[in-house]
Amino acid sequence: MTAPIIRIDSIRKSFGTHTVLDNLSFDVMPGEKLALIGPSGSGKTTILRILMTLETINGGHIEVCGEQLYHMQRKGREVPADEAHLHHMRRHIGMVFQHFNLFPHKSVLENITLAPVLTKGEARPMAEKRARDLLDMVGLADKAGHMPAQLSGGQKQRVAIARALALQPRIMLFDEVTSALDPELVEEVLLVMKRLAAETDMTMLLVTHEMGFAHEFADRVLFFDKGHIIEQGPPDHIFSNPTHERTQTFLRKIIAAGHRV
Amino acid sequence: MADWSGYMTLILQGALVTAQLTVMGAALALVMAFVAGLGRLSRFAALRALAVVYIEFFRGTSIFVQLFWVYFVLPFAGITLDPLAAGVMALGLNVGAYGAEVVRGAVLSVPRDQYEACIAVNLTRMQRMRHVILPQALPLMLPTFGNNAIELLKATAVVSLISLTDMTFQAQVVRAQTGSTLIPFAMILGLYFLMSLAISGGMRWLERRVTRGLDGVR
Repeated sequence: MTAPIIRIDSIRKSFGTHTVLDNLSFDVMPGEKLALIGPSGSGKTTILRILMTLETINGGHIEVCGEQLYHMQRKGREVPADEAHLHHMRRHIGMVFQHFNLFPHKSVLENITLAPVLTKGEARPMAEKRARDLLDMVGLADKAGHMPAQLSGGQKQRVAIARALALQPRIMLFDEVTSALDPELVEEVLLVMKRLAAETDMTMLLVTHEMGFAHEFADRVLFFDKGHIIEQGPPDHIFSNPTHERTQTFLRKIIAAGHRV
Repeated sequence: MADWSGYMTLILQGALVTAQLTVMGAALALVMAFVAGLGRLSRFAALRALAVVYIEFFRGTSIFVQLFWVYFVLPFAGITLDPLAAGVMALGLNVGAYGAEVVRGAVLSVPRDQYEACIAVNLTRMQRMRHVILPQALPLMLPTFGNNAIELLKATAVVSLISLTDMTFQAQVVRAQTGSTLIPFAMILGLYFLMSLAISGGMRWLERRVTRGLDGVR
C-alpha cells in the first residue's frame, strides 16, 4: 500500500470572520487525477491556493510528499514553517492559474526557462532545450520568441502549463484554467491537459466548471459545498448517480446553464 | 561696452557646474529612491521606520534649509564638505525622498497575479523583485523620475547660496559687473531650458527602451 502524496488533515481557513474551510480532511494518492467541483464560494480554489502556499491555514496539518507543508520541526518541537521551508516544499508543486499570470516582460521562452535557471541552477542551453520540447508538446513550438501580449488566451494558458511543467513538479494544480477563455479556445487547452494526464504519472488536482472534462479527466471527483466534501467517488458515480441531493441540484443547474456532462 | 565673450565663458562655466550638480545629484537621488522606496516595503519593521523617517524629513523640510545644514551645521559635528559635495548631498537626499515614493508606488502597482506566479514557480523574494517585479515597475517610474530630474536641475540654483559658482551664481556676477540683467538672465533661461529638454528627451528614449515588447500589456 503506497502512502498518499497529499494528506490534508482537519484544516481550517477563514478570511476575517468568514470561515471558508472548516475541519476539512482528504488524501490524494500519487498519480491520482482529482477533480474538485462545486458551486462558487465552496472553497475549491482556496484548497489549491493553500497547497501552493498562496494562502496560509488557520488550523490543521497538510503533508506533501511525506513532509509537513506548513509546519517544521525545530528542537524537537513543531513550529510554523518559515520561508526557507516553504521554498523547499514548493519544488514539489506547480500551479496553472485562471488568468495565466505569465510574465509580460519576458518572451515565451524566457517565461519557461526563468525559474529552472534561477531556482534549480539549470544551465541555460539545457533549460532552453527542455522549454522548446515543452512548447512542442503544447503545440506552440513556433511561438518561443513571442511576447505573451502577442498570444491568444488559449496560447497563453498553454505556455503557462509549459512553464509549470518545466520545474518538473510531482503535483500540478489547475485552477479553473479554461474559465477566462473564449469558448472556441477551451478545447486546445483541454487537449493538452488530457495528453498530460495520459502520458505522465503526475498527481493532478483540477478545479473546474467543465463537467464533461472533469468526467473524462478525473479518477475521482470531489463535490464541495460550503467548505465541506458533500460527496466523492469515481466520475461515473458522481455524474450519473449522485446520491446526495445537493450534488444533484448543482449538476442540474450546471446542465441548465449549458455545460455538457 | 563690456567684454561679452568673457562673461559668456563665465556663464558657460557655471552651466558646467549646474550640469555636474544635476548629474551627480540625480545619481545619488536614484540610489536613495531605491534604497528608501524598497526599504518602505521591507518586511523588517526597523527598515520600514528608517525609510519613513528619511522620506518624511526630507520631503517635509525645505531644500534651502537642508543645504544650509549640510554645509554650515555639519562642520560642527566634524563633517566638513566642500561646496560641490554639500550641494550634491542636499539635492540628492531631497529629490531621493520624492523618488522613494515613486519607487514604492510603482512596485505596489504591479498586479498581485505576478507575485503569485513567482511563488508558484518558487522564486525567492530577491529573485521575485529583481527578475519580475522591478522590470515591470520601472516603466511606471520613469515619467515621474523625469519630472524629478527636471525639478532637481532647477533646484540646483539654490547652491549659489553656499558660494558654489553654478549658472545662477555666475549670472548674478555678470549682472553685478555689467549692470545688465536682461542678457545674463536671458542666457541662463535658455540654458536651463535646453538642459531640461535634454533630460526629457533622454527619459523618453529610456521609456521606449524599457517598455519594448510590453505594448498592449497595460
